[in-house]
This record gives sequence, C-alpha cells and structure tokens, in this order.
Amino acid sequence: MSEQADQPAPYTDLSLPIKVLTYFVLILGAVVMVLPFVWMASTACKVPAELNTLPVRWIPQTPVCRENLNLLYETSPNFNRYLLNSALLTIGRLVGQLVTCSLAAYGFARFKFPGRNVIFALSLGLLMVPFQAILIPEYLLLRQLDWLNSFRALIIPGAFSAFAMFLLRQAFLQIPLELEESAMIDGANPLQVLRYITLPLSGPALAAFAVITIQAAWNDFLFPLVVANTPDTRVVTIGISLLQGERSTPWNLLMMGSFLATMPMLILFVILQRYFIEGVTMSGIKG
Amino acid sequence: MCNIRRLTLMMALLLLVLVAVPVIAQDTASGEVAIQAQACAEPGQLTMWVWDENWAKVIGAAIDAWKADYCPGAEVDLQVQPWGQYWDLLKTNVAGGDMPDVFNMSQDRFFFYADNDALLDLQPYFDEGGVDTSLWGSGMIDPYRWGEENDLYAGPVNWDTIAIFYNKDLFDAAGVAYPIADWTWDDFADAAAKLTSVENDVYGAAVYAEYQGGYPNWIAATGTTPVVEAGRTSCTLTDEGSVEALNFLKGLYDQGYMPSVSIVGGASADDSFNFWLAGKVAMVAGGSWKLPDALEKTTFNWDVVTLPKNPETGRSRSILHSVGYVASAATENPELAANLITYLVSDEGQQFFADAGGVAPANPAVQQQWIDSFGDTDVNIQAFVDATQDSQGVTAFDEIWDKINTELVVNIFDLGLSVEDATQQACEFINTQLPQ
Amino acid sequence: MKTAFLNLFGQTPLTRRRALWGMALVAPNVLGLLFFFGLPVLAAFATSLQQWNAIKPPVFVGLDNFVRLFQDGAFWQALGNTLKLLLLSVPAEIFLALNVAVMLNQRLRGRIFFRTIYFLPVVTSTVAAAIVWAWIFQPRYGLIGNIFAPLGLRDIGWLTRPDLVLLPVAAVMIWQRLGFDMVLFLAGLQTIPRVLYEAAIIDGANPRQRFRFITLPLLSPTTFLVLVLAIINGFQVFDQVYIMTARTTRGGVGGSATTLAYFLYQSAFIRSEFGYSSAVALVLFLLTLGVTVLQLRIQRRWVYYEAGE
Repeated sequence: MSEQADQPAPYTDLSLPIKVLTYFVLILGAVVMVLPFVWMASTACKVPAELNTLPVRWIPQTPVCRENLNLLYETSPNFNRYLLNSALLTIGRLVGQLVTCSLAAYGFARFKFPGRNVIFALSLGLLMVPFQAILIPEYLLLRQLDWLNSFRALIIPGAFSAFAMFLLRQAFLQIPLELEESAMIDGANPLQVLRYITLPLSGPALAAFAVITIQAAWNDFLFPLVVANTPDTRVVTIGISLLQGERSTPWNLLMMGSFLATMPMLILFVILQRYFIEGVTMSGIKG
Repeated sequence: MCNIRRLTLMMALLLLVLVAVPVIAQDTASGEVAIQAQACAEPGQLTMWVWDENWAKVIGAAIDAWKADYCPGAEVDLQVQPWGQYWDLLKTNVAGGDMPDVFNMSQDRFFFYADNDALLDLQPYFDEGGVDTSLWGSGMIDPYRWGEENDLYAGPVNWDTIAIFYNKDLFDAAGVAYPIADWTWDDFADAAAKLTSVENDVYGAAVYAEYQGGYPNWIAATGTTPVVEAGRTSCTLTDEGSVEALNFLKGLYDQGYMPSVSIVGGASADDSFNFWLAGKVAMVAGGSWKLPDALEKTTFNWDVVTLPKNPETGRSRSILHSVGYVASAATENPELAANLITYLVSDEGQQFFADAGGVAPANPAVQQQWIDSFGDTDVNIQAFVDATQDSQGVTAFDEIWDKINTELVVNIFDLGLSVEDATQQACEFINTQLPQ
Repeated sequence: MKTAFLNLFGQTPLTRRRALWGMALVAPNVLGLLFFFGLPVLAAFATSLQQWNAIKPPVFVGLDNFVRLFQDGAFWQALGNTLKLLLLSVPAEIFLALNVAVMLNQRLRGRIFFRTIYFLPVVTSTVAAAIVWAWIFQPRYGLIGNIFAPLGLRDIGWLTRPDLVLLPVAAVMIWQRLGFDMVLFLAGLQTIPRVLYEAAIIDGANPRQRFRFITLPLLSPTTFLVLVLAIINGFQVFDQVYIMTARTTRGGVGGSATTLAYFLYQSAFIRSEFGYSSAVALVLFLLTLGVTVLQLRIQRRWVYYEAGE
C-alpha cells in the first residue's frame, strides 16, 4: 500500500518548471496559513516576560511548555473533563448527522416528491439566519423542553444539519444511476441501496463531511455556552475562554489551552485526508 | 552597588510604612469593624453569576466561609461565565426570565438594568444591617445609585484607578529626572519630548487610550465631567475643558512624542500598556489592575507616579471604576441575597479579595492587606490609593464604551481629524443615545 | 378526488411509492431542522414586529421596525459593506481554493503536509488569529508593512482607515475559508473517473485542456456547493470583522467595517433593540434566500450532474 502505487494520475508527471512554480506558490500561501498557528504554539511556551515583545518573537528564548501546561491544569483543573465533553458532543453530532443527513441527501437526490425543491430550499434557508438572531429563541426553546445544561441540549439539535445534507446530496448526484438501478431490480429497497451502494461509493464526500462536521462540532462555542455551561457539561472552547479575566489575559495559558484543543483536530485531519485518495480506487469500479 | 540598592529598598519600605501607618493606625486605633457581616434570617437557595475562573475561585472560598459562619444551610449555585460573553449571556438569560439572584455588575452596564427596574434596591438592607456607605468613596458608589431617593443598588467589591507607569531605564538613558507626585502637564510634556527618540524607535508617552485608562482622565483634570454629564443629560466632549485636554494630547501626538493608534496596535489601554511592556514607550497611563502584569512581565526598571496636574486647576483626577454585586429585583430570597452581598463587602468577606491581589478591594479596612499582597516591592503602589482621593466615576454607558470612545481616539490620534471636528461628530452621535 | 390527490405524488404506483420513500427519507432531518432551528427562526421573525429590550414585555409595533430600517443610513452602509466583502472575498476564495486543491491532488512530495497546513486556519483559535492578523497589518512592526516598505507602505493604517479596512477583513475571510473549500474540492476531485483523463491523454489533450474540459465540468456540482455556501457564509460575516477591528473601533471608524450580521449583533446585544435586530435578520434572510434561489435556478446552465438531477 505504498502511497505512490495507487496514485490517481489525473495529470501526467509534472514538468520541472511547473513543479517549481507549484511549490513556490504553495509555500508562499502556507506561510500565511501557518503563522497564527505558530504564534499559538510558541506563545503556549512563553514566560510572561516574553509575551509582549516587539518585533514579535516567534521562538521563545526560555521555553516553558511543561510549566505552562501544569499551570493550565492548576488554573483549570477540569480541563480534561472539558475535552471529554467536547469529544462526546462531537461524536454524538457526527453519528446523528451521518444518519439523518445521508438519508435526507439520498431522498433529495434520487426521489421526486411534491414540494421537493421548496422543502430543500427551506432547509437551506435555515443556514441563512445568523445565529446571533436566534440565540434567545433557541435558549427559550431548550428551556421549554427542560433540556438546559444537559448533553441532550448539546447533541440532539446538532444532530440535524442542512449543510451536511447539501454536501452529501451534491455527492450522491455525481454517482452514476446504473449500479443503484440494477440493485433495485434485484429487489433491494432504498435503504439497502443507500447502505450498500451509494454510501460506499461516496468515500471522499463522507471524509469531507466528517472533517467539516467534526471540526464544526469541536469548535462550537456560542451554542453550548448558552444552553449548557455547567462544570459537568462544559466544552473545551468555553473552558479556554474562562481563562480570560476582565482585567487580565494570560496569553500563554490561553494558547496552551487552544493548542491542546487543536491537536486532536489536526491528527484527525491527517488521518482522514487519506480518504480523499482512496475514494478514487472505489469509484474506479464504474470504469 | 548591591548595598546601595538594598539601602534604597529599605528606605522605600520605611517610607511606605511611614505613609501607611497612619492609615492603619486610624482603623486599628478605633478598633472598629468597618462593615460587619450579619447572620442570615433564613437559609435558602441562590444562583450567582461571576466572570472568569480565577475570580470564581476567590468568590467560591468567600461563599463557603459565609455559609459556614453566617448562614448554615444556605445553597449557592455559583456559575462562572466567560468575561468576553458575560453581558450577552446575561441579556439572553434575562430575556428568558432567568436573571441570576446575585451577579457581578459593572458601573457602565448598570444604567440599562436599573432603568428597566430589574435590580433589587439594597439600601434598606444596608440601613438595617448598619452598613456605613460613606466608607466607600463617591466614585465607587455614586454610579450605582438610582431612583428618587438615590438609593444604593450595588455592594462595591473593588476599585481601580489610573496612574502613570514609567520606564526608569529610558528616563536614565535620556537623562531625565524621574517624575514626582506634584508634577504638571507641562512637566509631562517636557519629559515626553526629551524621552522621544526617533533613532531608537522610542516614544515619550502613550496616554490617550479609550475610556478609563486614557483621555477621560485628562478631561477630568480640567474639572469637566468626561464624555457625558452625570445623570446622562448632555454630551460634554465639546465643552471647553474636553477640547483643552484633547488638544494638549493631540499636541504631543502631532510633535511625534506619542505613537498613532495603528502603531500601538490598538486603541485600548491594554494595547498602550503592551507597547510599554515592549519597551517602545517611556510613559503609559495604566490601571492599578496592571500591577501584577507589570511586576511579572517587565524586562526593565520601572515605577508608578500619579497623573500630572492640570496647571490651571491644580488637579489630577483619575477615572475610578468599581465592580459591584447586585441582586435581581425578581429574586425569591431578597433578604438572603442582600445578606450574601453584605458579607462579600464586609471586612471579613473582603479579606479573600485582598489576599488574592490584583484588583484592590473596595472596603478600606483591607486596603493595606491588598498592598501587602504584592510582597516586597519598591513600586509606588500608594499612587493608586492616592488617586482615589480626587477621582471621577464612570459616567458613560454601553454604546459609548463600545463605539464612541475608540472612534474618537482613532479619529484624533490616527486619522488626523481636528479635536473640534472629532468631538463634534462624537457629540452628535451621543445626543441621539441620551434619554430624552 | 382521491386519485387527483394521489396524482400529486406521481402518475403510476411506482412513482407514487418512490415519492413516499423520498418523503420518508428526508423527514427525520427536515423535521429536526424545522423544530430545532425553524421554530427559533419563526420566533425571531415574530419579534421583528415588536419592540423589545429583553427585560420589559414586548410591544407590538407592526412594521415600524422595517420602516425605520429602510430609513437608517447605518443599515444601508452595513448592506453595502456586506456586498463589497462578498465581491472581495468569494471569487478570490473559490479561485484560490480550487487551485490549491488541484495542486494538492497531484503526485507531489509533501502533499499531506501542505494539505494539513492549508487546513490549519479552520482549526486555529479565533483569538490567536485576531492577534496575528492585527500584527500582519500593523504599521511599522507588521508583516505587510515590512514587506512593502520599499513601496512606501510601511506606515499605512490598514485597520483604522475607513477606505482600507474592508481589505484586511476580506483577507481574513479568504484565509479562514480556504481550507474548508479545499476539503470540499479535494473530495469532489476524487469523484472524477480517471479513465477520462487517460483517454484525454491518449487523444493528446494538454494539461490546460484537460482542466478546462474534464476537471471543470465534472467538478461543477462541488463548485456549485462551494459557491452557495461561500455566499451564505459571506452574508453573515461577523467573526472576521471582530478579528480585524476589535482592537481599534469595533465595526470600523464610522461603521466602515460594519456588516449586516455585525449591525444585527450591535442592535440586539449592545443597544438592546431585539425587535429591530430581528428585522435586520429577516431582511438578511430574504436577501440570502433570493440569491440562493437564483443560483439554484441558474445552476442548470453550468452544473453538470453525472446522473441527471
């Protein structure tokens, strides 16, 4: 399974000048992409005296990563609990959306029914109201349900998504009909077709869905803050924000916390991005 | 060398003791407790909101002591919210009818809640408990007064004032004498000019920042109330005193003694202070809450001096701000809420805040304890205490904090608008926001 | 009557059955969305007919909020800023993301590394982004100022000047969305059958032609997705305004960087005019919906679906 072996070859091997140009552009862009992350990582290891230098000091002269890490856990003893809560929220929403959104995406992509376009547009329409506008009604709704400060509030509303539905619908529309039709003729019902034909053929889209959904759930801040900010249900984004006081901003601790919260996302991305390649071999079936 | 240093330290300490002793002597000599906590009539349940993890710890400890000593059986659900979202969350909960029983309040946010009759009048409870409200300076509590009787609606928990932090090394390098308590605006301008060094990329001063740590202190020194008149009747930015003060600051900026907002990196007092920490400016206006930061983060010698005096009025006036505890008008346990607040502002309750350091406790009985919490230091912490003498409470309200302050500062100290035009523009906006 | 009703669902038993299946499949997600987000949205729209400060009971005021809105110069300014930001960011964002995705879909050493780097902004903390971007545009000490110092641009106040401040905001918008769009494009690129490229190579098509005649059309469903989402997201730009103006004047001097979403936030949480802010939300919703419906209609002309729609 060497990576080179099953590479797609949409383009033949690149000529040298193009390769050089590509690298040049990529590296230039990468610098801008990576700077805030570098600042986060380096600040996480700084002593207070190094926090406010001009020009900006990118590499701490006296790195104190370990000490700052300890200090973080001293200031915020439940930090691991917050990480765990974030993980629970993320997994719950991911599984929920995988079910609800793949079903809905399949329904919209492959079936004609009255009002289909209107319902689809309406669902998308819910993406078009800024969250600040529905903050209070959302709070009132969950309060009415008596769900405040519970994992139900953190997970269940987030188990539905117009965005993921849209993403998967677009992906399903790109899959040729023939395979599904032959399965139908063999007597498979739509759920079986979705499960055994359509989803396996959508590897890359599912990977994109996973990356984006996980990332959005993990970084969610305002919604959990409004509906479930108790020590037992607090997620990590809120945990980090609690480090900042009215009169003081301990940048090194804030960034240490942010760094710890970012690492799982990065590792996950490195793992999941492989599937952007593997999908090709699968869709090769059709060729 | 070492001996001389130790000697000056000793002398400074001795001086500090000499200055401080009469203050303590007064308190201990009379042997009285300034504010006495009371046993609660009946224990019950309270929800309480505070911001930031560190403060929550201090308050948590204070509440435990209250429960043990004054109100066994009481339950307090202490909820900590992020400072950055505190006010938005509060409004969200208030909209749902879930205002916490007791919560942190800030002077500039008080108006909205008081104006909507959402807060509990604490005056009857203070009167009944024999709390002498005159112990608190007027700058601390006047902004928390409301209604026809001018009743007090908050128990002030802390205060902070403004003074000048200066970089001694830069003073030495420029051969300028360190400032002394009675200096004037002219001395300040002189020093700023001498300290500015284009080749070393060092500015003389950065003191114009938005609200509390910035330009309003200079307006206050002229005798004018900064930004809006108390009672929110009119905009004062176009008044003679405001224009004079802003023109003085703009003069320093135009001469190149003060950096622009863009170069500092922001219009807030925090940004100016960080610029000072980076060694790029010799003098900065900073709040007493910056003392821990300065002690921890400086890489040079420094000290603090009171704000310079306006040559005509002979006054320097610091903007003073005080965080308070308020209770909801809708609380089911008003007596209990008031009892807890009384404890938190009492001599006993305030111990916890004094020991925690950082922001100064409001109760004068624990002032010295707060100064001591900084440990052995020759920094002139007393400058901040002195600044409470002739101070000015916060008069602006939400919208002005968020928009007008920074806009005025950016317009004058970055975009080059004249003081007359910028203040005119600001007052036009403020007038649309004032109650009719 | 009964058949007439049934005919709505299709002419034959088979199409009828498929219609029922379709509705059953979309039901869980659609109902969940309507309940958890549709209801609050409806409540917000109802608030737009009221005057409400979150404490005192709301007062019904009919269309007053909308009348006031259309006479409010600050609203029109915010609308203008939002449209300008959309124009500044969306085309550039899609162009860059598509190019980066295509580059990183090639046989290239360090590909995984670069993909991860370009994804970083999506997961980087907003406060860190705020600090670093403020530094990037800070005169004298910042990145831009120092790179372009020879052009005399060292001391430009990008974040304070009303005529310039939208550029940094747009830059942060592009920066934050690039990795997100790249992920979608990368996934989309995988669904293009490689036989098509192989056939094209045999036919002697050069890389540019292959991109133009194979990649672009076959990627169009993804491009459509990215475009629709970018515009929806762009209409709601809020964080980026905060990132770039939090330390000077929030929303820019004279409202020069105030977007509709930011205006909405200010009306609600700073001025406590929740009715008025809900009116802004409704207008923002209708605008976005209009543009999206327009796109759904136009897509037939340029989006190519392998299996038809």
